[in-house]
Amino acid sequence: MEKFEVTAELTSPLVIGGGYFTLDALLGGVLFENLGDVEKAHASIPLRCTDGLFHASAANLDSSVKRPISFVANLRADHSLHPDLILKNKDGGIHRRLGKLRRSDFGQVLNSYSAFDTPDVVWYAEGDPEKTERLLSDVHFIGKRRGSGFGEVKGWQIEPSEFNGVTGPFDEPMRPVPVEQFKGDTDSLKVDAAWRPAYWHPENRAVCYAPRGLT
Amino acid sequence: MNTYQFFNNGFGRHLTEQTNQPHVDAWRALSKSHAIVNKEGKPSTSRLTGWAIVRPDGASAQTVFQSKDISHDPRIRFEAFAEELERWDEAPRIFLTFSKAPLPIANLFMTVDLRAVRICSPGGIETFDYTQPVQEGAGVSQRNIEKWRIKNGT
Repeated sequence: MEKFEVTAELTSPLVIGGGYFTLDALLGGVLFENLGDVEKAHASIPLRCTDGLFHASAANLDSSVKRPISFVANLRADHSLHPDLILKNKDGGIHRRLGKLRRSDFGQVLNSYSAFDTPDVVWYAEGDPEKTERLLSDVHFIGKRRGSGFGEVKGWQIEPSEFNGVTGPFDEPMRPVPVEQFKGDTDSLKVDAAWRPAYWHPENRAVCYAPRGLT
Repeated sequence: MNTYQFFNNGFGRHLTEQTNQPHVDAWRALSKSHAIVNKEGKPSTSRLTGWAIVRPDGASAQTVFQSKDISHDPRIRFEAFAEELERWDEAPRIFLTFSKAPLPIANLFMTVDLRAVRICSPGGIETFDYTQPVQEGAGVSQRNIEKWRIKNGT
């Protein structure tokens, strides 16, 4: 296991929907696209893992270039939405009519994110840098709204580092670490956060020490 | 205790039946209609409106629930939140604002540190540092809590 630093050079703004965008989350997502199995994907992340906690930092970004950004998604009946996926009313029907012709009959969803106009993103980690590099070499877009051109990666750089992705030079947390597992500075910020993949799953939340910035 | 257990312990269990899946119980509590007492003082049902604060030993809410285990508090949300933050005792809280729309459980977060206060609502989560002055671009809750603090000289 080696300590290393991963840098993604970006050519378009990075869009994030909240959370800390840790390196294990990124690699887990890439592996899931290849393997199609959540458990296998998480077990294959080539990073050191202690009691479920990956040694992989949150994304390091310049928060001064953060701005809110929203998109409206028009979910079309019979195309984006299958009626079986929609919560039914007490009569067994869907709550409102979904039409196929008029925009007003589409299911409109407003999604709000944060956009970062940053030239690069940096992560610190401990694990296998060669395997990590192989996985990332095929990744050309990161973050949310990749299909709209956001988070385009010009290139990846992997270099040796002195940080393990869990605690930084001043013993501060570099990622969310559950209070019981944290061995750094206990004056650090405490938040309720997801600390292991799958980061979207409610059962993976705990009170953690976490870096300031992304939430 | 995770977020959903904390929420159910102080608030959700007084509104819905509990199972062994805390996040599902929390989802039911935050999306269904509940038995309340309306403005005329009559029993009624309604989706969640107003605000609530969940504490380790219970909860208070602006809505009058038929369940006597949730205390009624008629204050406006920013006054209630500001006073709760002024009397911070290091124990976790959940600050909730409702608008009749279901509040997604992904938007449910405990506040455990004054440097990262989280106001949870159906539309999203506002996170701010209560120990720092309000900056340009601050969210609605932080600005109104600050206004209330200034008005009341706290």
